Amino acid sequence: LRVIELGGGIAGSYCTKLMAGFGADVIKVEPWPAGDKLRQSEPFIDGASGPENSIPHLWYNTGKRSVVLNLDSKRELDWLKGIIRRADVVVDGFAPGKLAEIGLGFDVLKSVRRDIILTSITPFGQSGPNKDYEAEEITLYAMSGLMYATGHPDREPLAAGPAICQLSAGMKAYIATLMAVYRRKQAAGAEWIDVSVHEAALDNFEIAVAEHMELGKKAKRANDEHALVPWRIFPCRDGHAAIIGGPIRHWLKAAEIFEEPELTSTKYAHMADRIRQRADVRALMAPWLSRHDKKDIFHAGQKRKMAWGYLATLADVVGSPQHRARGFLPEVHHPDHGHQIMLGAPFRPSRSPWRQQRAPQLGEHTSEVLQELLGLSPAEIGAAKEGALS
Amino acid sequence: VSERSAQPLSGIRVVDLTHDWAGPHAARVVADYGAEVIKIEYPKRLDGMRGAYLDRIDKHPRWWQINRNKKSITLDFHRPDHVEACKALVKVSDLVLENSRPGVLEGFGLGYETLRQVRPDIIMVSMSAHGGSGPYRQYAGYGGAIEATSGVQSLTAYGRGEDAMRIREVDVTNGIMGACAIMTALIHRQATGEGQWIDLSETEACTWLIGEHLLEFTANRGAQTLPLGNRHPVHAPQGCYPCRGKDRWLAITVRSDSEWRDFCATAGHPEWSADDRFATVKGRQAHHDEIDRLIASWTREQDAREAMITLQARGVAAGLVADAEDIANDPHLSSRGWESRPDSGEHGRSPGFPFRFQTEGAARYRRRGPDLGADNNAILRELLGLPATVIPPLDPEHLGTAFDRE
Repeated sequence: LRVIELGGGIAGSYCTKLMAGFGADVIKVEPWPAGDKLRQSEPFIDGASGPENSIPHLWYNTGKRSVVLNLDSKRELDWLKGIIRRADVVVDGFAPGKLAEIGLGFDVLKSVRRDIILTSITPFGQSGPNKDYEAEEITLYAMSGLMYATGHPDREPLAAGPAICQLSAGMKAYIATLMAVYRRKQAAGAEWIDVSVHEAALDNFEIAVAEHMELGKKAKRANDEHALVPWRIFPCRDGHAAIIGGPIRHWLKAAEIFEEPELTSTKYAHMADRIRQRADVRALMAPWLSRHDKKDIFHAGQKRKMAWGYLATLADVVGSPQHRARGFLPEVHHPDHGHQIMLGAPFRPSRSPWRQQRAPQLGEHTSEVLQELLGLSPAEIGAAKEGALS
Repeated sequence: VSERSAQPLSGIRVVDLTHDWAGPHAARVVADYGAEVIKIEYPKRLDGMRGAYLDRIDKHPRWWQINRNKKSITLDFHRPDHVEACKALVKVSDLVLENSRPGVLEGFGLGYETLRQVRPDIIMVSMSAHGGSGPYRQYAGYGGAIEATSGVQSLTAYGRGEDAMRIREVDVTNGIMGACAIMTALIHRQATGEGQWIDLSETEACTWLIGEHLLEFTANRGAQTLPLGNRHPVHAPQGCYPCRGKDRWLAITVRSDSEWRDFCATAGHPEWSADDRFATVKGRQAHHDEIDRLIASWTREQDAREAMITLQARGVAAGLVADAEDIANDPHLSSRGWESRPDSGEHGRSPGFPFRFQTEGAARYRRRGPDLGADNNAILRELLGLPATVIPPLDPEHLGTAFDRE
């Protein structure tokens, strides 16, 4: 599977990062001369800006080949069309209409390759009154309902740290594209996929929206108080432990751990009782929690079949014995930065394994790809490398 | 293009052994796009999403939503004939999705090695809390613990040193990663004819949401940009500002000096952009608190949606902090025909599909989440040709919920 990534963006880059890791030949076409905008994104390695130093670039672009082209040049646009002719998929991170403006609209792509799959990822989709709206992650987190339900009821809604809306959209673009690839084998033909980050993120809020549509309910910020009790993080001696009252059938036996007989009495025997007496349950657990450390609590709960956890810092994640045992934090070598700790596969297929790779340097594969796919001579490409392009 | 092929996964049959949210969401994504998903339910301990009360197990909108387009059959793997029925179903299926504790299915004689004897090219996707290997392989998990243990939760807070907060909604993003696994395996099988087993650790999938932040932490020796509350690591100002009315808010990001001037002009306060202290992003970062107070003094008098429209017309990234009601009535979503209703004619408005194909009919909402055992007859008797005795009794004394004690 050969995939051409155009237009950059976190969602598109995440989608093609997954494709590259699971074996696709992903060619990231970056604009001449500076490359993808992600390369200018903070933070940088050791704080030093530069196209090879952006941490978001080093994370989101692993496993891809980098080809730098000047799409204002007719000749190079033709080169890109030649590359697309030998590709299966174009992942488009440009704003609506921009691809057509460049001269690579869906009709043009279809004429270049009859069964091309175009996956366009935009903040609000290809149609509708908001299609040209500007958006950052917080804008999308707000407009998809997620933010209203995040944080404390007495404070302003809170943005998510991770770019969860764009990452949701990137994964959905991956799924949608592979569905189209799958279908193409049965019904050859081009396909254009419209991924709206907004709609992709709305899926994360599906229950709240469904319950509003059917029951008129309005999910509110609740300072993370879950419908079930207990079902959240609580302070303990060295941080926070995630005390989850499930699997519910095991709770009463497991709750003996808190050394508080009242907690295992009939008064709190049913989940409905615990929900009704939320504050009391918390108070009864607190003394034992304050005497124990988060990881000890995690293991003690799991020994009693409870699905507990703990609030891991980034240092805890890096130090996790589970991650070490599963090789989840492998190192890759980058020519400019030496060994870097990356994440292993997001899931582990037994027959189509993950390829652990680094991000490409700017234009690292321009000659390689132009020779391999277009048969260009090194002289022609040499001229290009001199910057004598237009 | 025939009607059959309009849905990309038409012809794929999935045996869905998952429960709660993440696994069922993965199965729903493929069901929306044409896979026939047969959900196997254990009558003595129903899916938690069916709730605590037997008289309402078929009546929860959350159930209708998460399990739309699926079929329901009921089996009890303590019964040998039901284990055999499951194998018979696997024999005519493409994929098995499960989220039991590692080892549980093996205990019933339904592990991957057994099922591939039944069907050599079967795909099995196992979604567990910590993965199928390693010291924590037997550990259980729900979203509320996985989000914490994965490191994700530590990056969201109102500020440094404040309580870590949960985001919305890692059960769903883990489900989406499960759907990514399904598609990866289907493509591999289409190319090679091989089935396979996929081991998905929900903790690892969740940690993938913060990959760039872990790389910052390891590469820059303990550096950590997040949490930043509602602020942006580079742009300023960015925040969530109160608007007219109760609990109405607008998220605003100003991304350049010229956007700052446009913002101030739009807000009717050109004097803010005339203030030299705020002229550069460095200055705006240094005086962020003061700028937040100024912006809030303007937004408090504004309707959140109107202010969003006005600011967006000037190219400023402003977004209404939508609640569920705003979304149900969103003009943009409605112009895109997002909301969907089941073809079956059952009552029910529903959130729409997560992505669109140009091909008409690629995603369809055929029916809402099924009543318990709704397809027992069609699947167990008609498809598999099993005797009537295989269908278990579903009257209340034979049922139990996930809320019951053991």
